[in-house]
Parts: sequence; C-alpha cells; structure tokens
Amino acid sequence: MGKQDRWGLDVSTWAARLENPISARLRDPATTGYLGIVLGAFAAFIAIPPIEARTITWPTLVGLVAIALGIWTVTRGRRRLGWGAVASGLLGIGLGILATRSSAGNLNSAFDATLVAQTLGFATPLVFAAMGGIFSERSGVVNIGLEGMMLMGAFWGVYGADKGGSWVVGLLLAAGVGGVTALVYAFFAIQLRADQIVGGTAINFLAVGITGFFFVLLYNNSPIPNGVSLLPNVHIPGLPGFLGDSIGDLNILTWASFALVILAFLVLFKTTIGLRIRACGEHPRAADTVGINVYAIRYACVTLSGVLAAIGGMYLSEGPLGNGFFQFNMTNGRGFIALAAVIFGNWRPFGAFWAAILFGFADALALKLQVYSDSASTLFHVLPYVLTLVAVAGVIGRTVAPAADGKPYSKQ
Amino acid sequence: MTAPGQSPSPPAPPEPEFGDPGTLAARLAIKQRAGGIVVPIITVVLAIFISILVVAATEHSFHTSLLAFQEIFRGTGLNWIVHPTTNLQTSIPAYNLSQTLLQTSTLILTGLAVAFAFRCGMFNIGGQGQYLVGLLVANWIGVSFAGMNPLAHVLFAMVGGTLAAAAYAGIAGVLKATVGAHEVISTIMLNWIAYWTASWLLGVGGPLQDSSNPTSPVSKQVVPGARLPDFWGNQGFQGVHIGFFIALSCVVVFYVLINRTTLGYEVRAVGFNPDAAAYGGINVKKNLIRAMAISGAFAGLAGAIDMLGGTTNYQFGQLDIPFSQVGFIGIAVALLGRNTAVGTLLAAFLFGALLYGSFHGLGASSVIDPSLATNLTYIIQGLIVLFIGADVLILSVWNSRKKLRWRWGSKTVGAST
Amino acid sequence: MADDLVLEMRDIRKEFPGVVANDGVSFDVRRGEVHALLGENGAGKSTLMNILYGLYRPDGGEIVLKGKAVSFSSAREAIEAGIGMVHQHFMLIPVMTVAENIVLGTEPVKGGVFLDESAADKRVTEMAKSFKFAVDPDALVEDISVGQQQRVEIMKALYRNADLLILDEPTAVLTPQEAEDLFEILRGLQREGFSIIFISHKLNEVLEIADRITVLRRGKTIETVPREGATEESLARAMVGRDVLLRVEKEPAKPGDVLLEVRDLHVRDDRDIEKVRGLSFDVRAGEIVGIAGVDGNGQTELIDALTGLQKIESGTATIAGRELVHATARDALDAGVGHIPEDRQRRGLVLEFSIAENIALHDYAEPPDARFGWLFPGRMISRARTLIREFDVRGGGPLTRAGGLSGGNQQKVIAAREIARDPKVLIAAQPTRGLDVGAIEYLHRRLVTERDEGRAILLVSLELEEILSLSDRILVIYEGEIVGEHTGDVSEQQIGLEMLGGREKTAA
Repeated sequence: MGKQDRWGLDVSTWAARLENPISARLRDPATTGYLGIVLGAFAAFIAIPPIEARTITWPTLVGLVAIALGIWTVTRGRRRLGWGAVASGLLGIGLGILATRSSAGNLNSAFDATLVAQTLGFATPLVFAAMGGIFSERSGVVNIGLEGMMLMGAFWGVYGADKGGSWVVGLLLAAGVGGVTALVYAFFAIQLRADQIVGGTAINFLAVGITGFFFVLLYNNSPIPNGVSLLPNVHIPGLPGFLGDSIGDLNILTWASFALVILAFLVLFKTTIGLRIRACGEHPRAADTVGINVYAIRYACVTLSGVLAAIGGMYLSEGPLGNGFFQFNMTNGRGFIALAAVIFGNWRPFGAFWAAILFGFADALALKLQVYSDSASTLFHVLPYVLTLVAVAGVIGRTVAPAADGKPYSKQ
Repeated sequence: MTAPGQSPSPPAPPEPEFGDPGTLAARLAIKQRAGGIVVPIITVVLAIFISILVVAATEHSFHTSLLAFQEIFRGTGLNWIVHPTTNLQTSIPAYNLSQTLLQTSTLILTGLAVAFAFRCGMFNIGGQGQYLVGLLVANWIGVSFAGMNPLAHVLFAMVGGTLAAAAYAGIAGVLKATVGAHEVISTIMLNWIAYWTASWLLGVGGPLQDSSNPTSPVSKQVVPGARLPDFWGNQGFQGVHIGFFIALSCVVVFYVLINRTTLGYEVRAVGFNPDAAAYGGINVKKNLIRAMAISGAFAGLAGAIDMLGGTTNYQFGQLDIPFSQVGFIGIAVALLGRNTAVGTLLAAFLFGALLYGSFHGLGASSVIDPSLATNLTYIIQGLIVLFIGADVLILSVWNSRKKLRWRWGSKTVGAST
Repeated sequence: MADDLVLEMRDIRKEFPGVVANDGVSFDVRRGEVHALLGENGAGKSTLMNILYGLYRPDGGEIVLKGKAVSFSSAREAIEAGIGMVHQHFMLIPVMTVAENIVLGTEPVKGGVFLDESAADKRVTEMAKSFKFAVDPDALVEDISVGQQQRVEIMKALYRNADLLILDEPTAVLTPQEAEDLFEILRGLQREGFSIIFISHKLNEVLEIADRITVLRRGKTIETVPREGATEESLARAMVGRDVLLRVEKEPAKPGDVLLEVRDLHVRDDRDIEKVRGLSFDVRAGEIVGIAGVDGNGQTELIDALTGLQKIESGTATIAGRELVHATARDALDAGVGHIPEDRQRRGLVLEFSIAENIALHDYAEPPDARFGWLFPGRMISRARTLIREFDVRGGGPLTRAGGLSGGNQQKVIAAREIARDPKVLIAAQPTRGLDVGAIEYLHRRLVTERDEGRAILLVSLELEEILSLSDRILVIYEGEIVGEHTGDVSEQQIGLEMLGGREKTAA
C-alpha cells in the first residue's frame, strides 16, 4: 500500500491524489500550500499589464488570501511549504503595491509582448546548461564547471562559425569542445576520484584562460569580424499581435531548448537508460551489482553535460543578443545560474525549465527596468540567487539531490 | 515517514571507503604529510611547463616562449635582488617588486580565508563576495566621517569591513549548521548577490557612487585622513602601503589561531572528524559558523586594505584581475599552500608574482601580445588547481592502499554475522 | 545422493591481513532444502557467502555448482549462474518504485528504448502472485515496510532466474510477525524446488525453518546436522565451543555505592525506532557489569544515551546522583562518564591529530592544557608523555599521528585519556575489537585495576568470553530489554542461549 496522508487517503502518486474527492484535496496541506504560493505570485500579477489594476485593493486581498492559506498549511504540518506561501503572499502584495505606484506608461512599456520573447531568449542558454547539469548530477557527478563549459562554447562557437563559414560548423565545434572539456573533467572526477568541486573550479579557471588566450591570439582582442554567420531566428509569419511579438521570431536554439526539455524528461524518466542513470546517482553499488557499468554511464553523462552547456554558451555569442561578438568572460555567472536552476527545479527537467524561465524573466525585467529604476533592475538581477539560497535553505519544500551526488564511486 | 505498524527502513550499508579517507580536510592533510613541499613544487613546475608548451605551440617558437616567461620573471621584480635599491621612481625592478608585494598581500588574505574554512572541512568559494563586502564597507566608512582622527578612522574602516564580511560569510555558515545547506552553493550565490548589490551601490545615482562623476560607476574617494600610509615609495606613485605588514601579521594570526588556541583546536577537530569532535564535547554547529565567519573576515580585511591603501576608490565592472578575481585566486593559493600558514604565504607570493609579472612584465613588453599574458595566468592557475585536485587523491590512494585493503576486509568480517 | 546436491563448497580458505576468515570450510546444499549457516559474529558466514556470490576470491578450496566447478569474479557472473543473494543491507533504491528496482538492469523495453512500465508491472504482479507475495509494483521502496522491502530483494533474485537463494541475516530487521511471513514464503519457494541458504545466529528461527544446519566457529566448520535431533542447547554448545577462556585473575568485587543508575530507560535511534525498551539496572563502584548480547539489540543506543550523544526518550539515567537530563556530550563528560567507544577510528580518535592532541580531546579547553582560550601544547605533550609511559603505548611519542599507531595502541591512547580523567563511571564498548592478544590482555588487566580503584565499569561486548572473563555481574540484553541477570559462575551455554533469544528451560 502506498503512502497515505493523515486522513487515510492514498497519496502515493499524483494519479491517486487526483482520484481523491475534491473536499479531501482541499484539506491536503500540499494543495493549499502550493495554491498559496501561486496566489501570491498572482497578487503581483494583478497589478501589471494586461490586468493592470491601479488600486492596491486587489493585490492586497489576493495576497492576504495567500498568506491565510500559508498559515493554514503551516498548522496542518507542512511548515516549510506554508511559510513559503506566506512569503509569496507578502512578496506579491509588496510588488503589487510597487507596480501600482509606477506610472501606467512605464508599466505598459515594460510589460509588453517583447518581454516574453526576451524572457525566453535569456532562458535559452540556461535551459541548455541546466539540462546538461541534470544529466551529470543525476548520474552522480556534481558539475560546478558548467560555467567554464558554457564559456568554451561561446568562444569556439563563434570561431567555428567564422572560419567554417556557417553557424552549423560553429555549433559542431562548440559541442565538440564542450564535450572534450567535460571529458577532461570527467577523467579527474571519475577516474582519479578527485574532489569534484575543486575540479569544477579548475575547469572554470582554465576556460577563462583558454578562451581569452585564443581570443587574443586569433582575433587580437577585438570584436569578431562582422558578418559572421549567426544562429538564425525562426520567423513564424502571420501571427496576430501579442503572439507575433512574443513568439513569432524566436531563435532556433530557443525552439530547440523546448524540445530538449521534453527529450530530457523522456530519456530520464521513460527509458531504460534513464532508469540506469538515475540508479547510478542514487545507489551506485546497487546498480553495480545488477551489472550496470557505473563508470561508463557517468562518463557519458558528464560529457553530455559539457556538450549541452557549450551549445547553451554559444547562444550568448551567436544568438540574437550576442550578434557574433565574443567578450572576455562572457558567461559572467550564467553557468552558476543554470546550476541554481537545477537545484531550484529539484533535479527534474521541467522543474529546471520553469526555474530557468523564472530566472530569464528576472533578467529580462532587469534589463527593461534599467531605463526607469536602477534599484529595481538590480533587485531582479539578484533575485535568482536569492531564490536559490532560499530553496537551498529548504524554505520552499525540500530540495533532494540524487543520493550519491558528488561521491566518487569505486568498484569493490 | 512510517505509518504506525510499519517497521522502518534498515540502515544504509557501510560503504567500504576506498580512496576516500573521510573528510575533505583529512584528504588534504594526507597530501600535506606525504611529500610536504615537494609535490606543490612539482605541481607548479608541471603547470608552468605545460604553459610554456602552449605558448611555444601558438607562437610557433620555443625560443619566443622562453623569452615570454623571462619577461614574466622580470615583471615580478625578483631581479631586484641583483640591484637592490629603494628608489621606486628610477629602478624598474624595484617598482615591479613593490607592486608584486602589493598584489601578494591581497592574495595572502584571500588565501588565508579559503585555507581557514578548509581546515574546518568547508569549501569557501565566496571569498570574492566577501572581499567585495569588505571593500565597499571600508569605502563607505572611509568616505564618510571626514575629520575623524586618522588612526581611528583607518581602524574603524578596516574593522568595519572585516566584520561586515565576517557576517556575510556567516550566513553560509548558519545555513550549513541549521539546515545542512552545502556551503559551496550558498557561497556561490552570495558572491553574485554581492556583485549585483555592488553594481547598484556604485551605479549611476547609487548611494556610494561618486556624484561628481555621474556617468561612471565609480565610488567616492576615501578621504586622505583614512588612507593607509606607505612605507616604500610615496602615495602618489602607488607605493607599498603598510597593508603589506597587516597581511604578513595575519599569517601569524592564522598560525596562532589554528595551532595555539582552543578555537583552532576545535576547528581542526571538526574538520578532520566531526563524529569524534562531538564525542569529545565540541559543539560542531557553533564551529561551522565560527569558521566561516573568520574565513570571511580574512577576505573582508583584504578588501578593506585594498580600498584604504591601494586604490582608494573602486570602479564597478572593471575586469582587472586584481579586483575581480582575487577571491577565486585565493582558492588556488590555499590549495597550493596546503591550507597552512607558511604554505599560503609562499603560494600567495607565487601567484602575486605570476599575476603582476604577466600583467605588467609580459604585458608591457613586446615579446608576445600583452593581452595573452593575463589569460596565460588563468591557464596556469587552472592547471595548478586541476593537478592539486587530482594529486591529493593519487597520493592518498597510494598511501592508504595497504591500509584500505585490510580495513575494508576486516570491516566486512568484523561487521559480519 | 550426490547428484541431489546443488552446491558444494569444499575446503574454502580466505585470509585477510591479521585474520583467517575461512579456514578450510566445507558445506553443501541439496536441491530444495533450506540450509542454515549458524555462527557468532566473526565466525566467517558472510565471508563464505561473499565468496560464493563472487564478491571475494577464495585463497583456497573449490566450489561446485550443479555439478560443475565454478569460480566467479563478479556478482554478475554469480547471478547468471543462478545464485541470488539478499544482503543484510538492502541494495534497493529508495526513491524508485518496486517494479523499477526489480527490473533494473534487465528492463523490458518497448519501441527499442522506452521502459515498458506496464510490462514490468505485469511481470512483477504475476511473479508476486505465483509466489504469494503481496507487493504493489508502483509503490516507492522508501514507503514500504522493511519486510516488504526484503520481499522485493527476493523478487529481484527470482526475476533473474535464481534457483539458489542466499539470505544474509534476513530476520535481523524484521518484527516477529514479518519473520513468520518470511518463513511462509521460504517454505513456498522450497516447494517450488528452490534451494535456500539461510545465514543466522538466531537459534529458534533456525530450528523452525532449516532442514539442515551447519555451524561455523572461528572460520571452521564445526558440524553439519539435520534439524531432527538438534536442540537449542546442542547448537549453542557447538557455536560457543569449549575453547580455553582467557580468564583474568581478579579478586572478588567489593561493590560500593551505586554510581550508575538506569531506570526504565527508553531510547530511540536516528531512525526513530525504539531500541532500548525499558532498561533498568545499577552499576556500583568497584564492580564490572557486563552486558552481553548480539549486535543490534540496543547496546549502541544505550551507550549513546549514557554518553549524551542520543536523546533519552523516557526514563532516567543518573551518574553519581546527577541525573542526565537533555544531556549533551559535554554534560555527560562533566558528570563523570568515561567512554571507550566501540568504533575507535570514527568516534574515539581524530586520526590526523597527534597522540597528545587526542589525549586532550575532552579537556583541551581546561587548564592545564589551556587557559582563556590559549593552548599550551607543551603541557599537552608532557601530560601525554606521562600517560604513554603509564599505559605502555608503543609506536610513537606524543607528537606521533594517531593514525600511525596500531589498533591496540590506539585503544590504549583512548583508555589512557578516559581513565586519566578520573571518571566515576567508565563505559567500555567492544574495547578489544580487532586487537591482538597482548593488547587484549593489557586492557583486561587495566579494567580490573580501575575497578579496584573504585570506579563503576560498564562493559558492553559482543564477545561472550570477554564478558564472562571480566564481569562480576552479567546482564543479557535482547531486543532492548534485559532478559537475564547472573552473578557468579554461569555456563556459556546459558548466556549464549539468552543472547540468541532462546528461552531458559526449566530444570527438568
């Protein structure tokens, strides 16, 4: 018999949960908790376009409901989730009030359809790197070096596009270099069982040095020549207004990132190889005793993480934001945000995806707000990191890493 | 998690610990014992050798490569020994050496920061953020309170920066002690939070920004009364300020703390074996927080000293290594120095020399493109950290090979039925 | 008869540095029988089975499986040959479902790469039905009971077509009811023609389930007997043996005041299972009280509670009149408890510290080692030097790293530290585990000396001989309760019986 809650209802799976009568579901503190968090976000949402309520009554009311739900949840036993809902409610009221105090014109120009496009754009490199990170960590290897692998992709992607004449060549080169970099890391982490965090930090240093070195050597530290083949956008003609502005002209990698998330989910949770990968990350000895080659799987997953991170990094230089230019230390911490997305998303592809969207949204909003208010801009830049800190502290549910994550494995 | 009536899950199997002597501190300590100073030297030599090859390959000339490294050496100012003089204005080697010493003093402190945390079994990657906090708080204090007694003012600014950074690092310590959050994640996040907060503080219209220069994100100048005096050369010409001595004395403080105080005893015990430490009556949680705070204090002091002596104001976003990377280089310094006081001192000097030598020595010459120099330093640094990460284990496995086979065997036999 | 044998292990020999785990062990298993391997801790049962399962290579002897000589170099080979092992520590992945755990490595596929979950579920359900297990293939392993987890482990073996099952101490983690259910399952498997090796040290269960019983002691086969005719007494005698005991010379005890008083103590372990279920006993000054029992019956939790490392759920523990309430390790130390821990390398010593620093482990913050936070290493070293001399610690001086000492000398350092603190109550847990004869002798003599100094000594050991040799009074612990108390001469068989869950036979 699966897990039961205190009312004797079967809550072992979501399917079972959904079969419970509605009244039972409302009593379930998990439901009220998550509902509280959503309502808190909604409270802020009310104050911005398209709803754009101009009085503080509505955001405050909705926020208060969120807080109430949060307190209910706390008293029903799910303390962390409950306090998360309370926090969300408070945050929602605060942001809502802030929004009602800004001018309508500002709000309208900040919150328009291009915000969606920019959010997706900022999220794209994060999604790629995060999916890579998920594979690596699910197999049991911590990958702090995502930042360095992204950077390698950013440089070598442009180089390949330049010398090879086409962005396809750039993509292949970036993927290749990312893979090789990850392979080096994998060797140190898996074979030599070196400390994985030290190894990842080393990769980051090396990446900065190598990309910078060759940038100077090959391009004399000046912007890459104009006319370099860029990653193309996918233009969808004939989309009406909002849709057209938001998703009508996204980059090919952005669409690829959507597919990647679905693919990652399918592989990890619906295929046999995914089952084995997860086994290696949870209990490598158990996997070993049933004949799974733990080393091989870990090598493969770490290398894959490098490939994906590099492709994500390539978006930075070769995508619509980069326009074919490379800058020293271009990633500037995005690899770490991707890692944060992995943690925030609880090591699940869709979770990390939504976390990446959230972080991308924060970045996009920060950019837009810079024109109006520097402090607000900074606030949103800081948000991903604060959220992850909060997540790590366990305030919003419990983040559970794969059990054997970060521990080197040795046979017999 | 178990409903009444169910018997709970059995304990997890005792993992035979091949090649993993336990805590991070213990592993690094094995490295220290086996090989002492020889292995770090080999690591450095190997890293430099590989870099020479890289330069040789890209410049298509071995000779050029060696010349390049000769320029680096000249840049460090170590050749000053041949013509010792105290006149910074006329003697290039003297000037170079003075700048190397400046760079070294910062790295000593950020290195000590990482080393102290490592001693307690924790990896403080947040040195950069803590450095920034110290820098900014010292700036703020140094800019305000004009007219205060200079000695008091300087002390106030230094202490303020140090304490602020200690508290900042303490956040990670508290998170680890209370909810078990991994300090690597929290310190990385804190780094970036500090970075963006600095961006706001120094941004256009920000509270710490120099309003006389409205378009650039520069902080205000520290008032003359709050600057650290120089002891070699004069202030106008970027002389070596007494921060260097402060850094040196911190090396002594580190040594004393770790080896001669009860605090150090507890920190080391927790780092090596938290179970035994608890058994011995030591409060493990308190020590985790304390160690992170002290670690942050060192890094914050580095920032404070740099602000009050070296630069007196700070521009956000500048990519100069001296400011944007010292926290991270501190990691390499601590690892190379095996987390000891003397080791950190020597490693800091090595990296300081490498940094300044390639920056301004190689960078000022025309042997190879100057901008290659900085990146070369990163590569060397990365190689050193990579090799350190690996050789720790190779040696520990080697040392423990015989012991481990016995331990694993008897563990299973002894624990068997 | 010979071709009825599914397994023969002949003259198996396996050595580890310092200990001969298997010394010419021979035993065989007939098709369709449940064969029990009986023996104390360290008798060599697990080693023997690990050899069979391919996890160890034997140093000598041979294995004949179904008529063919075999030698396995990995678990996978053993599995392919039809051997399935259910380890004492399960090899299950808690966050995955029952079905996923069972099919891992040989998963049914659909469409080439996709895991066919419904097929897996179906096969698992079919298997469960045919063997009359009751498991939900979609349940997460971490959510099901231990008994059910064990069934999943068995099914893992059956799914891979094992026909010889090895169960290593399967009832160690089960409640009596679950043990009964397990036996039903085993009988069912037996009827289907499976052969089962059942490793245990619980006499009553072995007599209930086994067809034949092989007793191992100290790495040797003592005897193999059929169930009929075997009694708990005869088995206990075979297990415990009649070796010459190392009896320590000691005068009779002169017990004084009660220094340790335990009343109705209840303690839970880290997994919130109640391990100490209402213990009450006293230890007086000048006496050694030995607690005998098989590992896992609550001794560890009892000691943890007395030393401040584990919370006391209910009941009291009083040291020389001072009750331990919400005590931390520091409180227990201050109350006068000395503790020689059973895991000297994990709990007792910081291996990277020097001998001097280890000796100071409890009192480093007090004078003379320190004052106002300042350490005086010189005083630590001289104090260590004195103790090293007094306790005859060999292998180094005060500055030698503790990890470089031999086990015996490490233990002496710990003993020195604890005794030098002048504790009122000295708790010694497994004090001579892994030590050579000389060190054992020394420690035993030392404990008697300290007893005569007026300390109250609580000795907890899995070695029956040690308990018998040293104790003035013996308490037998079983499943968290005291099931027997003896003073004066008592036979090993008697104690052994109680330790192993046997019941005292009334004199006939």
